[in-house]
Amino acid sequence: MKKYLLITLTLILFSCSQNENSNEINIYSQRHYNVDELQYANFEKKTGIKVNVVKANADELIQRMKNEAENSPADLFITVDVGKLWQASEMGLLQKFEDRNITKNISPELLDKNGYWIPVTYRSRIIVYSKERVNKDELSTYEDLANKKWKGRLLVRSSSNSYNQALMSSIVANLGSDLTTQWSDAVVSNFARDPKGSDRDQVKAIAAGQGDIAIVNSYYIGLLLSSEKEEELNAGKSIGVFFPNQGNNERGAHVNVSGIAIAKNSPNRDNAIELIKYLTSDEAQKTYVGNTYEYSVNPNIMPDEIVQAWGKFKKDPLDLNMLGIKREEAIRIFDKTGWK
Amino acid sequence: MEIAKNITNNRGVNISSFFLSLVIVIPLFALLLSVFKIDLDNFYYLWDNLLIDYSLNTIYLVLLTCFFSLIFGIFPAWFISTSKFKGRNLYDIILYLPLAIPTYIMAFTYSDILSYTGPIQSFARKHIPEISNILNQDYLQIEVLAIIMGLALYPYIYTACRISFSLVGSNYIDLSRNLGMSQMKTFFKIILPISRVAIFSGLFLVIMEVLNEYGAVKYFGVNTFTSGIFRSWYSMQDVDTASLLAVSLFVIVVFFFFLERYINSNYQFNYSANTNQESNFSLSHSRRLVVHLVCLIPIIFGFLTPILFIIDNVINEFARINFSKLIDLIVNTLSISLVSAIIIVLIAVLFQFFRKVSKSRIVMICSDMISLTYALPGAVVGLSLIILVTSFPNIINSNIFIGSFFLLIYAYSIRHMAVGISPLKSSFEKHPNSYDDTGINLGLTPFRLFKKIHLPINRSAILIAFLLCFIDIMKELPITLILRPFNFDTLAVQTYQFAIEEMIPKSAVYSLTIVMIGSILLILLKKIVNKQINVS
Repeated sequence: MKKYLLITLTLILFSCSQNENSNEINIYSQRHYNVDELQYANFEKKTGIKVNVVKANADELIQRMKNEAENSPADLFITVDVGKLWQASEMGLLQKFEDRNITKNISPELLDKNGYWIPVTYRSRIIVYSKERVNKDELSTYEDLANKKWKGRLLVRSSSNSYNQALMSSIVANLGSDLTTQWSDAVVSNFARDPKGSDRDQVKAIAAGQGDIAIVNSYYIGLLLSSEKEEELNAGKSIGVFFPNQGNNERGAHVNVSGIAIAKNSPNRDNAIELIKYLTSDEAQKTYVGNTYEYSVNPNIMPDEIVQAWGKFKKDPLDLNMLGIKREEAIRIFDKTGWK
Repeated sequence: MEIAKNITNNRGVNISSFFLSLVIVIPLFALLLSVFKIDLDNFYYLWDNLLIDYSLNTIYLVLLTCFFSLIFGIFPAWFISTSKFKGRNLYDIILYLPLAIPTYIMAFTYSDILSYTGPIQSFARKHIPEISNILNQDYLQIEVLAIIMGLALYPYIYTACRISFSLVGSNYIDLSRNLGMSQMKTFFKIILPISRVAIFSGLFLVIMEVLNEYGAVKYFGVNTFTSGIFRSWYSMQDVDTASLLAVSLFVIVVFFFFLERYINSNYQFNYSANTNQESNFSLSHSRRLVVHLVCLIPIIFGFLTPILFIIDNVINEFARINFSKLIDLIVNTLSISLVSAIIIVLIAVLFQFFRKVSKSRIVMICSDMISLTYALPGAVVGLSLIILVTSFPNIINSNIFIGSFFLLIYAYSIRHMAVGISPLKSSFEKHPNSYDDTGINLGLTPFRLFKKIHLPINRSAILIAFLLCFIDIMKELPITLILRPFNFDTLAVQTYQFAIEEMIPKSAVYSLTIVMIGSILLILLKKIVNKQINVS
């Protein structure tokens, strides 16, 4: 028994000592796609800077950074929802960073007006519809999803999902709280079923005939259409992609960015900047586009062929920070109107 | 074991068990710290809009899951413990194995199998179109989730019942036979009441698992109390309200824990270890069919179906498997589980020993208390530890702790202590106190008493506790996600990351590895359990 105890204690002590290495960079990331590892590996090869990553939920990472305060080892914070970047900046966890050489390659409407974060990729939250049961002309705007004609036909996932929260925030920012509440009320009454599952499950539910239209992130459709499973591919082919609010007087489709920011107390700031430079470079942007079906923040880099086939679309020009600022209101509207 | 050495009176035991249990329950105090800072508006808001709904869902899900895990667990345990039939030993092993499959993997896998694009519906559309419409249902329902969780969790009941039914001994069964009772009647009138305590202890673990589950319930759109905790933490960014909810959940669990304890205290049955086990009911042909069916249903749906589906995915993805990464993850997973399980078992053994040598209430309460942290969702344990180590910036440099293996292992120990304690407790309690009295009369010091008597006679239970903890930690997710050091991934983490990104096939090789390691350990466990209960 004593022996075990000794071994254990030694192991604990050993595990506590972390080796110091100055040529490194520490990332707190919400992104957990395969492509990220590829990007970091390429970056390491190029610069010799060792990339250390902790991947977790954005809120958990924010909490960790907040509690670690000036002792935080984090250099960079990466999320898939700009609302969380805004929140982190509000909590004083980030530092401002501006570099013309980086931002000049990025579509200006995707940039942070406050200068805290840099967008890396973006995605749109779109409407998909059953090609069989819905005529494309019936679709128009997010607002139109409240129309009675969609009663029992609309599919969407839970309101605890941050993509839905960001969409609702954008609608609050555009329409105001009262109109959004009315809208959400009507949308909930149009639900084909209680919100559940993932974005891909909504598409499958359309294929299964449980509903006719769904709100999903654009890249999931790309993933379905590139699936090797025949049935999934069929499900993907049975639906059409529709970018809402594209009319002349309309604001454009809701977009959200996956972004990167430098932590307030970043111990390896120079290295952090190197990684931001790399991730926004043409090379890395092409890698993103080809692997995740997201859109590049660099307007000159074309999306993947599957995504190109959906055509170009007009983006909602809303200041993306609003997706964080209006978040609390959005959540309350979800709860008030019974969007589970 | 230095502490044990110094025990010469009860006070030493009291003080050390008090402090040790304090270390284990300290995260609760961290939560209480933030509860005091609470802004009640958010709480009222949650209460008005969500909590009642969430609580009702939780109760419904807990009851349903308990129901299914009891059905899947008790009946096979009964037949296997008391009847002789072909395949019995094989069934006995496989019936444990769903424990190797994490609940969220079970849920993701089944939702994929049952989905419109899954194998069943695809097959029906191609070959039996008449029934494809009937099969085309929305399976993401709370009742389906309860069955799936029942399938994942019934081994807790099965294990508890299997040991209890075998230990109850042939005396009772022979007696009931002499009184002309049928097997069924013996079961309901005698065995079930006697095994109450064991069944409740299994059920307690099932309930804790349901309360703690987040990934699967979220996916199924079922909002439970735990969803409420995460709603206030993640969506409303209100850690204090999340803490209050976690503490409330904890209080409710503690209440039921002691209620159950109180009720059952009137039902203490004393059964001496069973030596003559061969009291097997003979089976008619039709009865044999029922027995096979009862055993095969949990086996097929709890283990074979998900495992075949996972294997199929692995085969399809085989060319893209990154083996060096896989090996890294295996090494990480095994080493962290090993170290943590050893520490948990050490503490758990110590407490059981304390209970034995000291009859004081403080020790009893302390050793019960440390099981209860199992009621805290893993993410909450993680959060509370972060709050704790950062609460005193002047005294503790939190940087040393956060993201260290120390904190990760500490968190595992807090969360999984109950798993380690449960088998140890029943083993320690089984042995009569006269052993200790004799030992002390013979002049043994407490340490030698422990080494010479308790360690050998509880050896199997210690191994069982170790294996159960190991498997549980191997499957652990939320704590690992929040507290792990840089670049430290485990199999569970990797599985989950692919699964939530809706890439189930890519996650398959990692989940298969978890299930395989878990299965090997469970088979080992099974061998030890069977030896202990004298089953050939």
